Amino acid sequence: MRNFMKYGLMAAIVGSVLSFGSLSATAQDLELTITAPAGAGGGWDSASRSLQEAMMATGNAKSVQVVNVPGAGGTVGLAQFIGSAKGSPNQLLVAGITLVGASISNKSPVNLTQVTPLARLTGDPLVIVVSKDSPIKTIDDLLATIKTDVAKTIWVGGSAGGADHILAALVTKAAGADPAKINYVAYSGGGESLAAMLGGQATAGVSGYGEWEGQIKSGDLRALAISYPEPIEGIEAKPLKAQGLDIELVNWRGIFAGPDVQGADLDALKAAVDNTVKSEQWQAILKARGWSDYYAPTDEFKTFIASENDRVRSILTSIGLAD
Amino acid sequence: MTPRPIHTPNRPPAVIAIVLFAIAVITYWDASQMTTRAAYGMSASAASYFVALLFAVLAVGHLVSAFKPSNVEVEVADWKAVGWIGLALCGLIGSIWLGGGFILGSTLLFALTAHAFGRRAFLVDLCLGAAIGVFVFLLFNKLLTLALPQGPLEKLF
Amino acid sequence: MDSISFLIEGFALAIQPANLIYAAIGVMIGTAVGVLPGIGPALTVALLLPVTFKLDPGGSIIMFAGIYYGGMYGGSTTAILLNTPGESASVVTALEGNKMARSGRGGPALATAAIGSFVAALIATLGLAFLAPILVKVAVKFGPWDYFGLMLIAFVTVSATFGSSPMRGLTSLAFGLWLGLMGIDQLTGQARLTFGVPELLDGVEVTTLAVGLFAIGEAFLVASRHLHKPEKPIPVKGSIWMTKEDWGRSWKPWLRGTVLGFPIGALPAGGAEIPTFLSYNIERRLSRKPQEFGQGAIEGVAGPEAANNASAAGTLVPLLTLGLPTSATAAVMLAGFQQYNIQPGPLLFTQHADLVWGLVASLFIANVMLLVLNLPLVGMWVKLLKIPLPWLYAGILVFASMGTIAANPSVVELLLLTGFGVIGFLMRRYDYPIAPAVVGLILGPLADNALRRSLQMSLGDPMILFQHPSSAIMIAIATIALIAPFIFRGLSRFQHDED
Repeated sequence: MRNFMKYGLMAAIVGSVLSFGSLSATAQDLELTITAPAGAGGGWDSASRSLQEAMMATGNAKSVQVVNVPGAGGTVGLAQFIGSAKGSPNQLLVAGITLVGASISNKSPVNLTQVTPLARLTGDPLVIVVSKDSPIKTIDDLLATIKTDVAKTIWVGGSAGGADHILAALVTKAAGADPAKINYVAYSGGGESLAAMLGGQATAGVSGYGEWEGQIKSGDLRALAISYPEPIEGIEAKPLKAQGLDIELVNWRGIFAGPDVQGADLDALKAAVDNTVKSEQWQAILKARGWSDYYAPTDEFKTFIASENDRVRSILTSIGLAD
Repeated sequence: MTPRPIHTPNRPPAVIAIVLFAIAVITYWDASQMTTRAAYGMSASAASYFVALLFAVLAVGHLVSAFKPSNVEVEVADWKAVGWIGLALCGLIGSIWLGGGFILGSTLLFALTAHAFGRRAFLVDLCLGAAIGVFVFLLFNKLLTLALPQGPLEKLF
Repeated sequence: MDSISFLIEGFALAIQPANLIYAAIGVMIGTAVGVLPGIGPALTVALLLPVTFKLDPGGSIIMFAGIYYGGMYGGSTTAILLNTPGESASVVTALEGNKMARSGRGGPALATAAIGSFVAALIATLGLAFLAPILVKVAVKFGPWDYFGLMLIAFVTVSATFGSSPMRGLTSLAFGLWLGLMGIDQLTGQARLTFGVPELLDGVEVTTLAVGLFAIGEAFLVASRHLHKPEKPIPVKGSIWMTKEDWGRSWKPWLRGTVLGFPIGALPAGGAEIPTFLSYNIERRLSRKPQEFGQGAIEGVAGPEAANNASAAGTLVPLLTLGLPTSATAAVMLAGFQQYNIQPGPLLFTQHADLVWGLVASLFIANVMLLVLNLPLVGMWVKLLKIPLPWLYAGILVFASMGTIAANPSVVELLLLTGFGVIGFLMRRYDYPIAPAVVGLILGPLADNALRRSLQMSLGDPMILFQHPSSAIMIAIATIALIAPFIFRGLSRFQHDED
């Protein structure tokens, strides 16, 4: 067919461009598959592809392939991974806090405690903002506003049950109001909720710091606090913890192996991930992407997953999204 | 060439009315199962109730039109050809479901569809379908790094 | 004016030989990948992002511009020739475009799409360069109530695609609305109509429905008729170029499509689909040959295609001025900027003026290149229809399913595609229009979310829809547009006393 011949020509061009970057690593002969439980272009996909790039560039794996399995906040991909990667020495999964929440609120039979944690990789702070014309100047002002009238305190942020919603609920609870009464208007992403903030339709907004950084720096939005436990260099807003609220919430991403991976297989995967994460290449990627390093080794990550699972469940229950 | 109108008076609208009514009931039932209520404004079930109502109204409309003389002429269909296309699509789905991979699936899809349209050179079509499948697979997997379902054939590359 | 001198500097950057080559590679890759159904501009840009990493920021953003506009062009080609819309914004193009292609007018259809896209993108890129700061101020003021008003207007225009019977049209629309309910509700996080199937939690993909109903449903229909009423598309009849009459009928729709597409595209939740519906409806009403609509009217290709491409440029307004990614494509582009530590946002125009204007200039250049690339290809594309019928449809089915699998490799998605194919066949057989179903799927969830967000912000008071003048006016326009045809019909019936 003629059109396919045309494609052949195009493909040759694509190929010649692509081949600049692909170099073959031989140091180890791991042939890995990373499952990104999201469509191409999203956060977990870019984390997977960055890891792929770094693992191959540092020679910690011979080949790495990324497979996208989108659906239902990652639970479709997780279920498939649990089925296919059981005991497998060469399958990995990238996931994060959203998947913890999604498996609870979707009443999914699978969750992240069923796979083998390898390492926590990145963690991005969330930020709480108000519009520049808002009478609310500090986080205490916001708490007072919530206490006065929780219904008229309109929050905007990402999808229902996601990290943004959880943070808003935690703040509402800390203000002494019932988190089930929170007036949280969910948008599909940081873009639409930002428009609602700039348009003055909401009292307060929550998003990943990076997504709204431009508006915060230009003064269109006033950042009241970040949700990271410690202050971050280059971010003026102080952590909630430093402002007297015992709240921390980090949008973390980590890497997992399949269920029942043990012994030498597990050690090989651990070593490959650890060596990659400690490489210059990985640090360069973090910097380029604007991701904060939130590395935790296997054992620490394992306890962390268990505690996040319990914590997220209790918050989602308090806002009525889980039973 | 002459379209032969078959007089199937009033049966299609009656059947469609039943289907529409069934959808309305399912949608209503689904909405009544939704427990989470919005704290403010309308709940998520409101849209479901609206659509259920719309379907119920349309079902009544179809039922009424079933008792009117029909003006839609339904032409004769070659159900064998339709069946072959159905089989072709099943071939693709089956191949991917059972782990046969993308190339095998699209080969079957191509050859069986061509058969549905009256071609009888099945072997040639199989080869052509396989060639297209391999080409597409290589294009997606190697150049675009989009993983298509893999079976035994794909593992060769 | 400052902008002009900046723009000239931008052109100086974009016209350097190396950058011209990047732009050329970008448009070619973009078009090639963009023609694959299911792989819209967003996925095209996402997949090709790594290619641009190897270049310097200027070069990569220029290549980016080429890929973006190229991807937009690609989607309409398959909609016209194969009745397989590559993305949701090309659905309307398929309505008239494919009818034209089958009757041997594929050449003019592709040409009016290409030239219309060129004209629209040219004007809209100018708008981006000079109107962006003003437009964006209005755009962020658009509240959920205003979106609801806009959705109502769009809903009313759907009736243009209803065909002979309003009841059948409404049934088709209801089917789309029903599919739109499926999946997790964005506002409350609960599942609607998913029947415990996790793959349905994300809802039904517009391209899956459109490709199923359009391409696969049609393959079934043509096969079922093959014995009794063999129909073979006519590759070329008359000139493969646009005739004088085609030009005369196209230029106004191009301009009107641009005027609709650019501002709606600049709205944070405007999207590219709504302007294409609106444009189709307007052209149908204004056409001197409205009876040709549904049989292959060139206005029905020219207007929506222009609207589609103008809205693509409109999307860049909030992206560049606010750092607001308002479409999937824009979100991917944002990630691209971040590769180079460039944060689009209010400070972008001052901090990285050279890059922004380089980008705007390369959009112009990419646009010209696309026209130069695409017009000669028209002759080659229409020859596609010369392929023997069995191979043509076999190829279409492989092509359609491959796009679906590539975007989401799941069996459930394929089952949906096949199911929609069967439904599309039955709908055609019993004379139900199929476009309203696609429109219902796109608009339903948008209208639902906009209404509920409004009511949530007003604590349940419906008067919020009328308290804002902008939304009140749009709701009034929708109401008038809904009622007026009935009144006119009543009047004319009264005058002619036909029945």
